[in-house]
Order: sequence, then C-alpha cells, then structure tokens
Amino acid sequence: MSEVSLKPRRRNGSTNIVVYLVALVAVALTVGPVLYGALGGFRTNGQIAERPTALPDPWVVDNYAGVLSGAPFWTYALNSTVIAVITTVVTVVFGVMAAYPLARYRFRGREALFMVFVLGLLFPAAVAVIPLFILISRDLGLGNTWWGVALPQAAFSLPLTVVILRPFLMALPRELEEAALIDGASRIGLFWRIILPLSTPGLVTVAVLAFVTSWNAYILPLLLLQGEMRTLPLGVADFSTEHSADTAGVLAFTTIAMIPALVLFLALQRRIVSGLQGAVKG
Amino acid sequence: MSRKTQALAALCAGVMIAATGCGGSGDSGGGDSTITWWHNSNNEPGKGFYEQVAKDFEKANPGVDVKVEAFAHEDMLTKLDAAFQSGDVPDVYMERGGGELADHVEAGLTRDLSKDSADIIEQIGGSAAGWQVDGKTYALPFSMGVVGFWYNTELFEKAGITETPTTMPELYAAFDKLEKAGITPVSLGGGDLWPAAHYYYAAALRGCSQETLTSAVADLDFSDPCFEKAGETVEQIVAERPFNKGFLSTASQTGPTSASGLLATGKVAMELAGHWEPGVMQGITEDKQGLGDKTGWFPFPAVDGGEGDPTAQLGGGDAWAVSEEAPDKAVDLVNYLLSDDVQKGFAENDMGLPTVPAAGSSVKDPALAELLKVRDEAPFVQLYFDTAFGESVGGAMNDEIGLLFAGKATPEDVVTATQEAADKEK
Amino acid sequence: MSSEHMLGAVASGRPHRTTPPPSAPPRTTSPRSTPWRQRAEIAFFVTPALALMALFIAWPVLSAVRFSVYDWNGLGPLDDFVGFANYADVLKDDVFTDAVIHNLVIVVGSIIVQLPLGVALALLLNRRMAGQGLLRTLIFVPYVLAEVIAGVIWFQLLQPDYGLIDAIMGGIGLTPPDEGWLGTPEVTLWVVLAVLTWKYLGLAVLLFLAGLQSVPEELYEAAQLDGASWFQTQWRVSIPLLGPTIRTWCFLSMIGSIQCFDMIWVLTGGGPADATTTMATYLVDEGTNRHNYGIAGAASVVLFAIAFVMALAYQLVVLRRDTKEEA
Repeated sequence: MSEVSLKPRRRNGSTNIVVYLVALVAVALTVGPVLYGALGGFRTNGQIAERPTALPDPWVVDNYAGVLSGAPFWTYALNSTVIAVITTVVTVVFGVMAAYPLARYRFRGREALFMVFVLGLLFPAAVAVIPLFILISRDLGLGNTWWGVALPQAAFSLPLTVVILRPFLMALPRELEEAALIDGASRIGLFWRIILPLSTPGLVTVAVLAFVTSWNAYILPLLLLQGEMRTLPLGVADFSTEHSADTAGVLAFTTIAMIPALVLFLALQRRIVSGLQGAVKG
Repeated sequence: MSRKTQALAALCAGVMIAATGCGGSGDSGGGDSTITWWHNSNNEPGKGFYEQVAKDFEKANPGVDVKVEAFAHEDMLTKLDAAFQSGDVPDVYMERGGGELADHVEAGLTRDLSKDSADIIEQIGGSAAGWQVDGKTYALPFSMGVVGFWYNTELFEKAGITETPTTMPELYAAFDKLEKAGITPVSLGGGDLWPAAHYYYAAALRGCSQETLTSAVADLDFSDPCFEKAGETVEQIVAERPFNKGFLSTASQTGPTSASGLLATGKVAMELAGHWEPGVMQGITEDKQGLGDKTGWFPFPAVDGGEGDPTAQLGGGDAWAVSEEAPDKAVDLVNYLLSDDVQKGFAENDMGLPTVPAAGSSVKDPALAELLKVRDEAPFVQLYFDTAFGESVGGAMNDEIGLLFAGKATPEDVVTATQEAADKEK
Repeated sequence: MSSEHMLGAVASGRPHRTTPPPSAPPRTTSPRSTPWRQRAEIAFFVTPALALMALFIAWPVLSAVRFSVYDWNGLGPLDDFVGFANYADVLKDDVFTDAVIHNLVIVVGSIIVQLPLGVALALLLNRRMAGQGLLRTLIFVPYVLAEVIAGVIWFQLLQPDYGLIDAIMGGIGLTPPDEGWLGTPEVTLWVVLAVLTWKYLGLAVLLFLAGLQSVPEELYEAAQLDGASWFQTQWRVSIPLLGPTIRTWCFLSMIGSIQCFDMIWVLTGGGPADATTTMATYLVDEGTNRHNYGIAGAASVVLFAIAFVMALAYQLVVLRRDTKEEA
C-alpha cells in the first residue's frame, strides 16, 4: 500500500495528534465489524454461542481450512471470477463506446439520449428479476450459463458507467482529435487509437466498480444458476442449510469470499479516485 | 424439514413477473429417459442418501437418467417459484400442499397421482388430505410432523416444574416458576413471522371445532367467534412477557442467537416448533447433540372453553409431486421414493417423520419416535393455516399476527385482515 | 435542459464552467463528416449498450407495468384485468404508505448524516500525512463489501445480550433498548440508518476525494499567503469548490435510498412490525412471498414514479445551477 499521493501537495498546518485520533476512530468504526466477521471464522460455533463477544480461544483454523480444501469453494470461485470478468468486459466496452459520441459529438437529441442512460439508474434490479428469469432461461436458452448472468448484470451496470465516463471523455483535450482528423483518421480509428488509451484511468474506475458489483451480486445468480455453476455468494447458502447453521463456517466462507473484491478495489483505490475526477489535465 | 420464508441469508428475488404468462411447456427436452428431481436435503446424511436412491432407481430402470439437484431450502423455494412461472417445472419436486398446491393444480402444472399411486395413497391414509384438491391426490407426503413445545428437561426441573402444562393457567404458572429461577421461559423467532403465527394457529386449533376449521379452509370464512378468541389467547400469552429479549427480530433457526439456538444452548427453557427442531438444534451445537437427552416435548395446552380436541395437532409436511410435463417414469420414481425401503432409510437417517406405516419403527431418535406416536394418535392434523390458505391470505394473516405480537394490532384486526385478503381471492 | 452535470460535476470540481461545452468536430474539408455519416457513427457506438439495456432492463420493467393492471398469482395466463384496482389497494395500504415515509426518512437521514461526515473525512484524508493511503483504504472497506455479508455481520453484532454492541454498551454503563436494537419498532429504523451510513460513507468519501483532486493548487497557495489557517482554507476554498461534487453525490444517494432493499431484507426483513419496510421490500414481499404479482407490479410503478419525480425536481432545482450556461 503506497503512501505517495498522486499529486503531492503542500499544505499549511502540520498533521497533529487530533487528526490522527479522528482518523483512528473513523477507521475503528469502519473496520471493526468486518474484523469481527474475519475473527469469527477462527472460532468454533460453540465458542460463538457461549461468548459471542470474545476473541477466538483457542484459535481454530478448521473453518478456513475446511473452506479452502473443499472442491466446491474453488468451483464457485471460478464461476464468480468468470462471470465478473465477462460482466466487466461487456460493461466497459459497451459503456465507453456509448459515452464517446455523447461526449465528443454534437447532435440533436444528444441530451435526450443521455437521459435514457440516466433513467436506467432509477430501476432497481430486484424489480425485473422474474421476467429476466423467463427471458434468459426460456427465450434465450441461457439458463445456468455464465453468459446468462453476466449479460443482464452488465446491462444494469451500464447506466452508471456511461454517466461516469461521459464527463471524463469530455475533459480530454480536443486538440488531439483535431490533429488526428486533419491527418485523415476516421472517427472510429480515432476512438481506438487516441480516445481509448487516454481514458484508461476512467476505464479502470468503471471496470473495478462493475467487477465488484458482479462479485457481490446475489439475486440473479440465485435464480439462474444451479449446482456446479453457482457463484460464491450462493455457496454461502450451502453453509447455512436448513438443519444446521454453521455460523463460524459462514463467517469463514464470507470472509474468504470478500477478499478478492476488497483487494482489487483497495489496490486500485487511488486510480479510482483519479479516474472519477477525470484529471488528464495533470 | 424447516418451513419457509426468509431465513437470514435468503435474499431471495425481487420478483415481478413473467411477461409471457406461462403458456409454454418446458420439458427440458431430454426425452423420456431424463428425470430432473429437486430436493432440499443438501447436507449429509440426506444428500448422500438421495444420491444413492437415484442410483438404485437408475439401476432398476435401464435407460433412465435421474438428475438430482440438492438445494438449500430457501433457494429451492425461490427456484421453484420461478420455475412455476416460466412453466419449466422439474419433473419431481417438493409440494407443501394447501392453497399453494391448489394454485398449481388450477394452472395445470401438477399431475394427478390418484390412479398411478393408489396403493401408496391408501397406506398413507389421512396424512394425504393436505395434498388433495377436489378429492384427487396430487402429491405424496413423505414426511409429516406436528408442532408443539420442545423443552429443556433440566431447566424445567431446576425451576421445580414437575408436570408439563396441559392448560393455559398451568402454562402461565410454568412461566412464573422459570422467571423466578432466573430462566427466560420461551424463545420465539419473530423475525420470520411464521413461528409467531404458529401460536395463533395452535390457539385456534384448541379453540375451534374441527368442522369450523375445515369449513374455514374450504370457504375462506373466518366469521366464527373462535378465530377472534384465538387472537385473545395469543394476546394473553404475549402479556405474560415470557419471550427472549428482542423476540420480534429473532431469527428462527439460523445460528446460536436464533430461537432454536437459544433453546439448544440452554439459554431458554422452551420453544414452540415443529418436528425439525431436534435436527436444527443438533446442527447448532458444537457437539452435534442439540439438547441430547434433555430434550422434552409437550403439545400446545388446552384453551379454556375451547371447542377443539386437545389431542388434535397442528402440523405439515413435505410431499413429492410430479409435474404435468414429466415423463411417466417420474411417477415410478415418486412411487419408489414412498416405498417401504426408501422410507425406512429416510427414517433411519433421521431425516423426518415417515408417512408409510412400515417405516415408523425405523425412527431412531427417541424424541422423533415420541412425536410420531403423537401424530399417529391424533384424530386429525391441521395443516399450518398459511400453507392451507395459500401465500396471499396466509401472508396477510401472518403479517397481522406479527403486529399482534408487537402490540400494534388487536385480535379483531387479525380476523379482519385475513378476511379481507380472503375476499380478494374468492 | 442539459444533464451533463449529473455526474459531470465530479469530473470538474470547478465552481462554475469556464470552458465552453464541447463543440462540434472541427470543420474539415473531408467529405467524411457528413451528417449521414455522423449518424451512422453515433449509431455504431451507442447501439450495443442501448440494445443490452432494452433487452435486460426496459423489457422486464415494461412487463411489470403490464402486470400491475391484472390480478395474477404468477401461474397461468394473464386474464383477470382489474384496471387500477391494484394501485388503489397499494395506496390505501398503511404498510405501503409507511414504507414511503421510511424511504423518505432514509433519503433525508442519509444526506444529513453522511454529508458532513463524508466532507470532513475527505478533507482529512486529503492532507498529506503518514499512513494516508492505508487510512483511505480502510475507509472504503464497507463500501466494497457485499450487502449480504455486511447484513449478516451486523445482525450478529446487534443481537440483544449476546451481541458485541450490547456488550460494549453494558461495559460503559448504558442500557440498550428493552427488546434489542432490531426488535424495538421505535428504534429499528434508526439502527438501519446507522448501518446504511456505515456502509455507504465510503462512497461519499470516494467521490469527495475525487472532487478535491481537481482543486487547483494555486488557490491553496494564495490562501496560505493570506495567512489563512488550515480550517479557514478548507472553509473558504475546498468546500465551496466541492459544491458540484456534493450536489452530484446527493443525487446518487437519493436514488440509492429510494431503492433501498438489500440491507433491510437481510437485516430486518422489514420488521419488527413493519417498522422498516421500504417500497422495494414491500413489492418483493408481495411478489415473492405472497404471489400477488399485480400488487407488486403496481408498487414498483409507484416506486419508479416517485424516484423519477424526485430526480426531475432535483435536476430542475439544484443541478441546474451547475449547468445553466448551457442552452
């Protein structure tokens, strides 16, 4: 975790103890609950039942070991990964394509077209689940497949993607385009050769957001995937079956399941921040 | 088998609905040799047992391929809902009976088994009533349980309770003794609503005559004063304040802080629950013993001036149904699932309370064996109201009962809300 | 009306626009940029995204609208047309009208609580200090967590007697509510609001940090030359320049709150005694658990209408300030 700020700045006033105290309190409140879950995975159900608030005593790695040594875990992890990757690629490619004319062209109806994407923000995914199930499993024959989950997830991720990318693309310097067009490049060539490379920070931002959203998704996979095709959040259900509720196992499983999304987001957090501000101005 | 609704982890789907209505049929196109079978025993020993049953069936029927899908209970319900709407129903699946089944029958999704399984239906006897529509049987119950108070014998002793309560005043006296001994009397999974609703159903079962109940289910008419009385009985129980702290939000059976968990770890003395309770408690305790030999059971006490038979029981179960589109072999599979051998294995693995008489003696768990006796001696077993009335009416009823427990509705409100929902159905 | 600032504000932390909006491509003599060709290019770029959204969002949502005028249990054909009866039922239902109020409480509460906290944390984390990267990272953790996981963890923490929260409160001599945090109808909504704040504060900080990145360094230097303290600088420079970002975040927060579902479903299921239902949990419960798909469809149309009106009003009243220079 590097501590070098992207754009080092001089600030007046030195960092004092109060600032650290405030920051520490904020962090404790923020991370405490997550830590509780992770530590819970190192306890037995008996320990959790007897003394819910205690630290692990003794520490047991059985829950984590049990999760990691189980073949299902890796099957689920593979499914989660593939679905998240497909979702992300489709979202980013379609998203940046749509954002490009909305940002760099002038035409009648541009704002109306953009509003269509903004409207998409207003629909919660939950509202459309069953019609989606019918559409995907019967009309498209994509039930119980990676694509059948990834494509609708990408559709629901597109509005925010376009809304984030558009101003980002708007902020790119126009001289580049002019130069390229005078050189006789086509708009499409220009898009591939100049716009895409320049918008990498913005693309990283929307890609990570789409990936994390897919990784954490529950409803669509629940309805559309069975057996060997299930993703990690569904795998948790295996741990809390009807007859037994293996709390420690669930905590261990969920802790491991959230690591990839956390690592990805946190490793790239500075790029996400800069991607959001669309600062190519330097 | 536990019942329904949102267990903590069940973030089930926001459902809105199928554009195509449901015309199309969805035989998965595997020809007559493939049978899809969905069940909810997704943990051992049940999972392995069913795998073996499928293999044995394939061996006895060359050319048949049984595709078994084991789901967590909540996932299975969600998936079944979606399957019914899309018309793509698994060949063999679990039916809970009552109003839900009636809807499936009306939509032409479920196959009439009256002829093809006549022998088995005769063996099962009265238990099949919950899965009959207009005198035809559409599913074969393989497990039927009853609801009553599971209690911790040690804590009862500690509080000086020598006889299990048989009347309401005795129940309240037991509450007092437990309180005095510093023990929380009852745990209740109010967060899931149905455990709270069971109190109302049980009170109605004790207060209303069998005829009243039967006609209420058939005609959806709740004008008999005994339904409001049942609400008053519940109000009295709540007024005694016997429940665990935070009972309105307590989960029913997920984890050590759930209602079952509190009973299993000796933090409360009793809980009103169905036949699944010992299994749930075993899963929650570290030594996998649950309450072990401290497990006791007594039926819901009689209500003063009630017209109900105190030996009648509230219960429900799970049945195998065959979808209308399924190959004929699927009926053979269901009949095989209800054969003496499979039912015996089912009982030996403590997976539930078998319905075929020959399998009764195979139940190993003493608590379950006792329950089986209670069930078989009951003059009749009333299907849980919410199941019997169907989701729409049952849901409205449970919701209002939840408010009654929170002190935000009156017994009269419960009857009114139920009647209003029922009138919409008619 | 332009909506480029829906999120554009995030991109440019400028208090007002100084650059003209992007103009047409330069007029070259190349015959390639005919309007016809331009239209074809626009279609090429936009069609994939629009097609995907039409198929997987618009079509299912329109289905929901269709079902809202039928009485349907999800099985068999749609044949029981009831007109607006479902809408009447929904709007008469106390549980639904309470749900609308709960949604509004969450909308307003989220903004009132998260805005000052988010700005304060963003300003703090924007200082150069040892461990800055680590601190930022930790602040974002809850936002990256799956709602399901967060809900499960908080459910455990909030258990009466056995939960961590009660244990800590007991330790410092405070008494938690009688029936527990999640079992007392009067307090549960506030508890939910607190958990939502915990979960989404990271998003606010993320956006505000992005907005702060584009505050020109010269402004800070000028403030420094004037002898302003750190606090005065933040008050006079950073916060005013964050304006557009804040307005954008408010919009996203509002939309999120009006659709609030996952966390409540996991944490309270809308209980106790319907004290935490939202429009989304209401419609999912009516659909999934009760198979009243007509009612659920009507509720989802009402939900969308409310979200749309709110978004439109916000756009007209608030965001317009950021975009008024555009025709």
